[in-house]
Amino acid sequence: MLDAIDKDLLKKVADLEGLPKGAFNIRKNGKLLKREVSANINIESNADGSGIIVTIKPGTINESVHIPVILSLAGLYDVVYNNFIIGEGADVTIIAGCGIHCGSLEPEGHAGIHEFRVGKGAKVKYVEKHYATGPGRGRRTLNPTTKVFLEAGAAAEMELTQIGGVDEANRANEATLGPDSLLLITERVLTEGNQKAVSANTIILAGAGSRANMISRSVIKGDSEQDFYATMEALAPCFGHIECDAIIMDNGRNETVPSLKARHPDAALTHEASIGKIASDQLMKLMSLGLTYDEAVNRIIQGFLK
Amino acid sequence: MLELKDLYFSVSGRDIIDGMSYTFEKGKFYSITGPNGSGKTTLAKLIMGINPVSSGSISFQGKEISSLSITERAREGIAYSFQQPARFKGITFRDLLAIAAGTDDEAMLLALLRRVGICSLSFLDNPVDAKLSGGEIKKIELATTIARNPKLAIYDEPDTGIDLWTIQPMVRLLKREQHEHGTTTVVVSHNRAFLEAADIVLMISEGKLVYKGDLTDALPMLNDLSVCNYRKCVGDKDVGCYR
Ligand SMILES: Nc1ncnc2c1ncn2[C@@H]1O[C@H](COP(=O)(O)OP(=O)(O)O)[C@@H](O)[C@H]1O
Ligand SMILES: [Mg+2]
Repeated sequence: MLDAIDKDLLKKVADLEGLPKGAFNIRKNGKLLKREVSANINIESNADGSGIIVTIKPGTINESVHIPVILSLAGLYDVVYNNFIIGEGADVTIIAGCGIHCGSLEPEGHAGIHEFRVGKGAKVKYVEKHYATGPGRGRRTLNPTTKVFLEAGAAAEMELTQIGGVDEANRANEATLGPDSLLLITERVLTEGNQKAVSANTIILAGAGSRANMISRSVIKGDSEQDFYATMEALAPCFGHIECDAIIMDNGRNETVPSLKARHPDAALTHEASIGKIASDQLMKLMSLGLTYDEAVNRIIQGFLK
Repeated sequence: MLELKDLYFSVSGRDIIDGMSYTFEKGKFYSITGPNGSGKTTLAKLIMGINPVSSGSISFQGKEISSLSITERAREGIAYSFQQPARFKGITFRDLLAIAAGTDDEAMLLALLRRVGICSLSFLDNPVDAKLSGGEIKKIELATTIARNPKLAIYDEPDTGIDLWTIQPMVRLLKREQHEHGTTTVVVSHNRAFLEAADIVLMISEGKLVYKGDLTDALPMLNDLSVCNYRKCVGDKDVGCYR
């Protein structure tokens, strides 16, 4: 049931060799390919069949759910609405990801709208990788959206990665943080050729004692373009930090706009932003350890996006 | 083993290295000192290939290297500990050490830690980023240089930011490397401990080599550093040049 292309895409976006263990839902070309539920994790299709609802029982510890999407059908633009309901005190990992294999001149694309409701004291780690490949020259589009709602004391760690081959991406992340909740977002995007990616982020620190850290790492090669917007709005005593770094290679273009809004006098919000070429002192150091110029560049980029 | 001949490095008409000639002998320990801005780091970077030679020659083990890249010189056996080490994002001490040693074998890396006197194993997975203290990054810098097993090791002010108690162990470490591996060692430093450890002390002023010899004869000149206006020495024992 999994062909060679499917297996390659699954490996790239979800580190999977064949089918995963535990609960999973594999969607291929807009349809359910295979689903498995577990005692604590339920997966069902939503009412209009446009996506899935993943429900994690309160107190579920150390379990994971894989929900990869693979596309290899010319001309398809697949849109899914997925909901994750994470019960109180649970501690789980969700591995998503979308792989496109494009074999023709026709465009292919996917938009995943993922909404997370993280219950009191629950912890979720969400790992999402986007990747496109194939000999076809059809335009590959990936437009992921995440919406996160954190209840009191909840924590979410989001690792969002676009590894390569995606021609166009409109990425959006939104989060609302309850009291004493914690949000860590790390987004890594690599573009090359004539690719374009935009990432727009809005984080609302609504609860007292909430903390958010958004890290963005961009590598912009060839003639590609990447723009990054992040807004942190504080409505209560809280801590928020945005760190965005872009490395520009060749003729890449970038616009980075971090924005901080304090609506409460005890809000502490900070940001660091940098755009530039690879620092020459880093290159010199690695070359003095015996690497060639190209090896040094690759090593620095690899670390930066790690 | 390293021969500098009529070496110049000039930037917009200014000779930052101003006609230097000197031969470093294999397996010896050299300390280079001299006022800030006198050209010590520039000289080290000329040898490593980080700065391009304006004129003159550098030969290493009988081979002209002044047109070789940094990488090629590293592979010939030259290593340099930067005065201001680079800081990265997403690269750990382990990564740098593995690149330097050409292996990521855990046992080999641990052996290297022991060799450079780092007792804390958890230090290995520290990111080499802006959060490290000045002393910590200098230790990492020194360790990556030793991990190269270089024939010629140049340390640029390795004691900056290092606590007082660690300086003597660092001197002993570099002496041990010199003796056990026959490493030709060049330390740029103002610290008396390194000057005392040296077989030969070199002094640089305004891009020129103004003294070469033992520490005893250099002392009057060093003691006078604060009031001294160097002029070019006529011979090693020219008393006038200490004033
Ligand atoms: N690439 C360069 N361009 C212009 N000036 C330089 C360059 N490199 C070094 N210098 C200048 O040359 C002088 C010597 O610098 P440096 O070698 O770093 O001194 P030291 O290490 O002895 O303190 C300084 O005045 C410095 O500003
Ligand atoms: Mg210097």
